[in-house]
Amino acid sequence: MVLGSVPAEYYLVLSAAVFCTGVFGVLTRRNALMFLMSVELMLNAANINFVAFAFYWGNLTGQVFTLFTMALAAAEVAIGIGIILVLYRNFDDVRVTDATTLRW
Amino acid sequence: MVTVAGIYAYAPAIAVLPFVSFLVALLVGRWLPRKGALSGILATLGSLGLSVAMVGHLVLTGEGYDETMYTFVETAETFDLTFGLLIDPLSAAMLVIVSFIAVLVHVFSLGYMNDEDEPGLPRYYAGLGLFTASMLAFVLSSNLLMAFFFFELVGLCSYLLIGHWFREEGPPSGAKKAFLVTRFGDYFFLVGVVGVLATFKTAGFAGENGFPAVAERVLSPEASAEVAVDTFGFAPETWFAVLGLLVLGGVLGKSAQFPFHTWLPDAMEGPTPVSALIHAATMVAAGVFLVARMYGFYALLPTVLAIIAFTGGFTALFAATMAVVKNEIKQVLAYSTISQYGYMMLALGAGGYVAAFFHLTTHAMFKALLFLGAGSVIIAMHHEEDMWLMGGLKDEMRVTYLTFLAGSLALAGIFPFAGFWSKDEVLFEALAHGLESPLLLGGYLMGLAAVFVTAVYTVRMVLLTFHGDPRSDLAADPEAVRWNVKLPLSALGVLAVVAGFLNPVPIQTLTGVHVEFLHDFLDNAASEELLTSAHHYGDLTKEFAGYSTGTVAGGETATVLISAGLSLGLAVAGAVVALRLYGGADPARHTEKLGGLRTLLMHNYYQDEYQVWLAEGLTLGVARAADAFDRGVVDGAVDKVSSVSLLSGYGLRRLQTGIVTNYAALISLSVLALLVAFAAMGGWF
Repeated sequence: MVLGSVPAEYYLVLSAAVFCTGVFGVLTRRNALMFLMSVELMLNAANINFVAFAFYWGNLTGQVFTLFTMALAAAEVAIGIGIILVLYRNFDDVRVTDATTLRW
Repeated sequence: MVTVAGIYAYAPAIAVLPFVSFLVALLVGRWLPRKGALSGILATLGSLGLSVAMVGHLVLTGEGYDETMYTFVETAETFDLTFGLLIDPLSAAMLVIVSFIAVLVHVFSLGYMNDEDEPGLPRYYAGLGLFTASMLAFVLSSNLLMAFFFFELVGLCSYLLIGHWFREEGPPSGAKKAFLVTRFGDYFFLVGVVGVLATFKTAGFAGENGFPAVAERVLSPEASAEVAVDTFGFAPETWFAVLGLLVLGGVLGKSAQFPFHTWLPDAMEGPTPVSALIHAATMVAAGVFLVARMYGFYALLPTVLAIIAFTGGFTALFAATMAVVKNEIKQVLAYSTISQYGYMMLALGAGGYVAAFFHLTTHAMFKALLFLGAGSVIIAMHHEEDMWLMGGLKDEMRVTYLTFLAGSLALAGIFPFAGFWSKDEVLFEALAHGLESPLLLGGYLMGLAAVFVTAVYTVRMVLLTFHGDPRSDLAADPEAVRWNVKLPLSALGVLAVVAGFLNPVPIQTLTGVHVEFLHDFLDNAASEELLTSAHHYGDLTKEFAGYSTGTVAGGETATVLISAGLSLGLAVAGAVVALRLYGGADPARHTEKLGGLRTLLMHNYYQDEYQVWLAEGLTLGVARAADAFDRGVVDGAVDKVSSVSLLSGYGLRRLQTGIVTNYAALISLSVLALLVAFAAMGGWF
């Protein structure tokens, strides 16, 4: 198996890299769409881990979990897009730093 | 399941019928032709019929009734709280009185309220219906707690009806005063009810298991250990006296006895039929009735009896003196009501159970008559109540005059009208039992003095209202009244003359003919069985309160005659004095010659002022101090504690920037910090 010849650490490093990219995006981007994409990145980093470990342990649960995560991500995107739409209607922009009117 | 024998199955209907009329008047009254009056008359007639049937049943079979109808709190360990019916001679007779007066007042209201196009008629008839229902239920109560419930409901109805014309200034104020003053007394009553329940584990009035019977067993010399009750560390006599006095608080409030009498004159702001029904014949009677109801308890307590007698005698004289100077016809009647209830209390305190109930009966008749007569005069005078603007009405209002005169002579205690017999019996009891007790004797002497004063103010009222020349245009041309006014007046007028022959003791003493009908009825076999009979109470007062029947000038006959002659003589003397003072065509205002005394009497001995001072000066001051303490110390401590949270919250909210990025950064940093912490603790470094 080709997959088997790749050590597990590689997957973990990849996943960590993707996750960090996501966190970086969340922390630095102001555009809500970019924000949403960064969140997707973080989710998928977790998915990589799931699949990799499922493969190494020979246990399908991890792969099934990934399917759930993807469904969840789809749902989250639907809501996220909705929020962004409302954001645009109310502030004429999609910058996340604008929506501060609900605080004290 | 309660199985009810025969006629007693219909007993609950006595109270339920007027309640239905209350609902009818309240819900659909405004669409009815007479705004609820007819349903009220029908319902009260039904109650009257059933009540008479109860009396008839008791007389014929001698079987009373004392059953629990409904248990609303059921406990295994302590005691149940229940509703029940108690029908013995006392309650049956009271039912007849209440429902009879209620019928007549409903009829009279057709003339006083409907014919005058008063506003809010459905509300008025709803009030009358609810009042009648709660009063009847109070009378039917088989235990003290149920009695308390309906006692309060009666007070509420009184409030609603006094304040019927709530858009004017006087009635709402009078209604509030009546409610608050009687409520003040009822606080003591409530505590007393709780005390009775806690002590005896029952609040039943009658039978071997009722609390009077238990108290009797505890106090009897051959008391055994098994009837021990919890007296909270006091001697049983002391503790029972405390309970008796607590319940007496409610009685004094409702029956307008000193010092709680101040509400009744102000209650005259209500419609006159209401005054007749509530403030003369029935609600005020509730207090006296309650003492009679639990007389088996009071008869054990000589101290409380003496207090009752002295308060009663004092109130009788005290209120009568105020009635002498009043100018409004209803005010005179109000003070005379207080005074007459004083007589009833005097009789109860003196051990005259029958005498008290006898006076209650005759008073209900003649005082309802006087109030309705006054109502008729007020209709005729277009709601002018000042007697100095009346005069000469006797020729224009023949029926009203004659019936009013009969009621007045009964009130003054002139032979052979109803009041003479009952008042005489009250005074006889007080004299016979009072020869050895100074408090009782004091009560008797004040009651005797009040006979004279009563005759003076009664005759003065009649003369000023009906005799002499008309003193205003209204009096010269009074408005005619219709059948619905004359019918109740005539019915009561006849009774005011003959009701005294229910129990004319002097006739029996003189001729030996047995005519003590009321006494026999209250001694009926049914009451014997339920331990509520008159002679049982007589035994109790002898055995426990140490009452003995004394005589003056040799022999019982002589005592009866001297007592009767004394009270009749004083009544006639009072009447003659009033006749000479006010008999002319144009009487002078003699009371103004009294000077400072008149001022004192017109201000009701400054009782209102001192009670207002108690409320505003004392209670309000204490309340203000308590409020300051509450706000400063109690609330202050809480406020200071909460201000810590408030301030820190105020500072910490800066954290909430509303910018998502900041939150994400915070979360990431926290996770990192956690990771580092875990790593450090796990020994990675």
